[in-house]
Amino acid sequence: MSAKARVHGRAATPVTPPELTRIPGRRILVVSPVVQIRIGPGDRVLVSPGQKVTAGMPIAERTVDAEFVDLGRLSGSANGNGKGDGNGGWKDPQQERRRPPTPGKWWVGGDDRRGKNARREGPRRIAGTLLYEINGRWSAAAGERHEKIESPTTGVIMEAANCIGIAMKVTGVAIPAAVAGGQPTRGYLDVPRLVDGELRDTALDMGRSGAIVVAGGRVSAEALTRARAMSIRGMVAGSLGQAELRDLAASEARQRAGLHSMPPFGVLGLDGHQRRPIASPILALLAALAGREVAIITEPPLLVLDVVDVPLPEIPPDWVRVRSGIHAGREGRWLSSAGLHRFRAGIHLEAANVRLGDDLGPTIIALSDLERFIL
Amino acid sequence: MSRQPRAFFALDFGAATTSAALVGHAGGRWRLLAHAAAPSTTDLDALLFGILDRVEQADRELLEFVSARERPRAAALVTDLARLESRSSPPRRIAVLAGSKRQRRRLEEIAARAGWLVVGGSADVDDPLELSRLVLAWDTHAVLLGADSTPAGDEKRHLPMLGALVAAAARRRPELAVVLAGGAAIQESDFSGAGEHDRIPDAVKVSATAGPAEEDPSAVAVGTSAGAPEAAGATPVMTPVGAPSAAPAVEPAPEGPPSKEAAEGTTAGGPSASAATATTAAVAAAAAHASDLEAPAHAAPVEMPAPAGDRHDSVLLAPDAESGQPAGSALQQVLEGLRARSDESRLGIARSVRSLALLLDKSIEVLEVGVDGGLRCRAEAVGPGHRTIVSSHVAMASGSFAPEDLSDEMIDAVSSWSTIAFDRYRLSDRLRDLRSSPWGEADGEGALLRLAAAKAAVQRLVAATPEISQREMPDILIAAGGVWASTPPSVVALAMADLVRRPGVGRLACDQARLLGPMGAIADEEERRKMLKDLVDDVLLPLGSLVLPAGIRQGRSAGRMRVIGGTANSDIDLQPGGIWAVELPPGQTATADMDFRDAVRLGARGRHFSVEVSGGLGGLFVDLRDIPLRLPDRADQKRATWESWQRAMWSEIDE
Repeated sequence: MSAKARVHGRAATPVTPPELTRIPGRRILVVSPVVQIRIGPGDRVLVSPGQKVTAGMPIAERTVDAEFVDLGRLSGSANGNGKGDGNGGWKDPQQERRRPPTPGKWWVGGDDRRGKNARREGPRRIAGTLLYEINGRWSAAAGERHEKIESPTTGVIMEAANCIGIAMKVTGVAIPAAVAGGQPTRGYLDVPRLVDGELRDTALDMGRSGAIVVAGGRVSAEALTRARAMSIRGMVAGSLGQAELRDLAASEARQRAGLHSMPPFGVLGLDGHQRRPIASPILALLAALAGREVAIITEPPLLVLDVVDVPLPEIPPDWVRVRSGIHAGREGRWLSSAGLHRFRAGIHLEAANVRLGDDLGPTIIALSDLERFIL
Repeated sequence: MSRQPRAFFALDFGAATTSAALVGHAGGRWRLLAHAAAPSTTDLDALLFGILDRVEQADRELLEFVSARERPRAAALVTDLARLESRSSPPRRIAVLAGSKRQRRRLEEIAARAGWLVVGGSADVDDPLELSRLVLAWDTHAVLLGADSTPAGDEKRHLPMLGALVAAAARRRPELAVVLAGGAAIQESDFSGAGEHDRIPDAVKVSATAGPAEEDPSAVAVGTSAGAPEAAGATPVMTPVGAPSAAPAVEPAPEGPPSKEAAEGTTAGGPSASAATATTAAVAAAAAHASDLEAPAHAAPVEMPAPAGDRHDSVLLAPDAESGQPAGSALQQVLEGLRARSDESRLGIARSVRSLALLLDKSIEVLEVGVDGGLRCRAEAVGPGHRTIVSSHVAMASGSFAPEDLSDEMIDAVSSWSTIAFDRYRLSDRLRDLRSSPWGEADGEGALLRLAAAKAAVQRLVAATPEISQREMPDILIAAGGVWASTPPSVVALAMADLVRRPGVGRLACDQARLLGPMGAIADEEERRKMLKDLVDDVLLPLGSLVLPAGIRQGRSAGRMRVIGGTANSDIDLQPGGIWAVELPPGQTATADMDFRDAVRLGARGRHFSVEVSGGLGGLFVDLRDIPLRLPDRADQKRATWESWQRAMWSEIDE
């Protein structure tokens, strides 16, 4: 297919032949998706609904070492009869501090609160969120170590609640992916030269620090480890195996337990878990966007581009890709419908004649194994 | 001037597959005229148009007759014909909290049988912080806090804390459905202010309809409340991305097409209790369940509690984990009503099977497997000649062939049924991709993997329903669900024989057109039965008959069997340890005379048996393997054993 890109403005939508409508469509870009950033008990939001946020702006504070704390009686009314939202929606910190305790309200205690720091090198600040109250006694999820969560992208906050999370409507467009791991992150898009659709691990060096690297069809556990060590912010691959995701999760857990926090690292699998090369229209789009700031979002899996006007690849209307099966990852042109065809193991499926790549003859492929691209 | 059409579409919207059937009244009865299935992403109108086009090409006069029009246009009929719909409920997650580990396990089991994805914690083991995480996670849609009806000390001392914790979470998340079961109901007073105080004021929230990006449909496609009912003008509520809303739309179950309301395009209201208060809903559900077991089948259908969407800010009081017959069934009924839509396919199948059992006067069992979950249900008369039907069903999220919460045990189970060697991670990747693309690679190795995954799913369903497994071999065993659709009939029959190891003789059938779900959406029992009476031969695609004797000694010939009747005249030497298929086409019946060397169990115990068997696409299956199946311990030998049995029924496997 042609990888010719057009900068600024959306290409005219080509007319899809009617018989191709039976093939599942895959949207290359989604506009202004709603994304979520999950937090838990002990964490608070620093934004309120309706607020516009920009990339890099602190939106939440995570209590890294949150533990269950019995606070005893707190001043203010009991039984949750106080007003307020418990969501950091109070603009004035003094006002928030004065309001009565409610579940989810940010609570600060320890020496810092009382102004006592004589016996310690630094003030001991315990903070977290209130959980519940029994007979006037409050419990909280609180800890000493806190870290800010920065917004990975620009958008408008739709919902924000302490202990629960933030829902944000992204300003701009995003490339949907199938699998994500790690944390939401941001960096410049780096599209290195791929060898047979793959990226060699040795290509991941300090020169790519701060980048989100396009890694080809598959990313290995070793590549993920190396990328994190080189301060690379994230990786985008055609597929992402469960073993690699499990390794990454374990690595993150170890990191959280350590005192030194590292910058967030995220990884995206565009197609799924089994090895497949990145689809050529998406690779063309990524190549055209190289050098721009992008963000990896994990819920849902997205590669967010903060802008609306992006260069779109020109895709012929009969261009299809094999999503699964023995030809998975190959692309070509739809030729004609093949009707009900008998496949391996005597399975009968609706099929199509497709000319794959540079093949001379057509290949019969089940419709359910094909996908077409929607701009 | 056109008359009233004599046809309707029966539609089953599954998670992976949309199945459509055209049912018409011709020749004095309702008939299945055509049916088709396609991936759920396929345009429905195109699917329906294709069905009408096929009927028109095959028999134009028939289409004119049932549509009551001269020269009917397929495009017009797509919109004009009535539709009878059922759809599967997407999986939802419940957090189970209890004072003790023992109680928690019991509650988790019941919640899983009610079709929920379950996470759980108990106060004697878990930190309150961990329990808070469970209930505050935004992919948790409901909380079940339970205790014995008279809690013992180990539970009682934790209940105040658990009640306060759940009440605080309910204040933070008003959309969370809360169920207090058994002795936990004493904590109801904790919730008196929930939903009224401390809630995020609507004034500070952004309306989902506000903002320019909302105009773009693609924004909704990925968004938090993608396609969810509350997206339309309501305040957005945090739900997991790509997952169902906590409040599914309540669409009244349509009346059957023959009814006046349906013909006029109106709906008559299905079984819902939208206005029910917490307590009354729970009590009504429990009472309805009891009547479901004992009342005649012609009684009104069980009134389900309305889905969670109808009762934000409410607390359900439910029976404890021991109530009902069998124990826990009362609570299961409440939880199922909270989870499922009123027109859910699986509940529809259970209703249809109950009607069929009365209609045919036979015991019927269904094993249904889909992407969202699976169902095992059984219905039969209380005794010979009785008009009272006893039915039970369990719809489980873990009955899915590619479960959302894929555990190592589930992966190992698939591996143990597979004839292909996989390492655990590779199999895990394939199963996860199968979930995201259920129609992908349906041939070759993919077909074998799908079969192994389906068998593992049925195995989980069978293990979770010992009360059904204890019963005798059913007269009719039905395989349902999209996973069986593309599998050869003889292989489906073999899978049923592998999984339902009870001695006896039974008929095997497949719900090929997936009509049982939509038929169950007909609210009126009498009307449903009338419809099924006409359609029974079309609904149940015969796979054949299964003869499964128990107590056969290994090592020598067990006896002989003669099949006489129709085109089948066979004389078979019964060699233990194998399974044979005797050709017996659909529609034919034959007599199977069996003489065993030793006494065996085949319903009753004896040496000589003469049974009526009916034919099917697979024929007559004689299974002389052990009950339960004995397989080699080594994985490679186990695979070779499966393959030898499978190859006998699936000769095309090497193509």
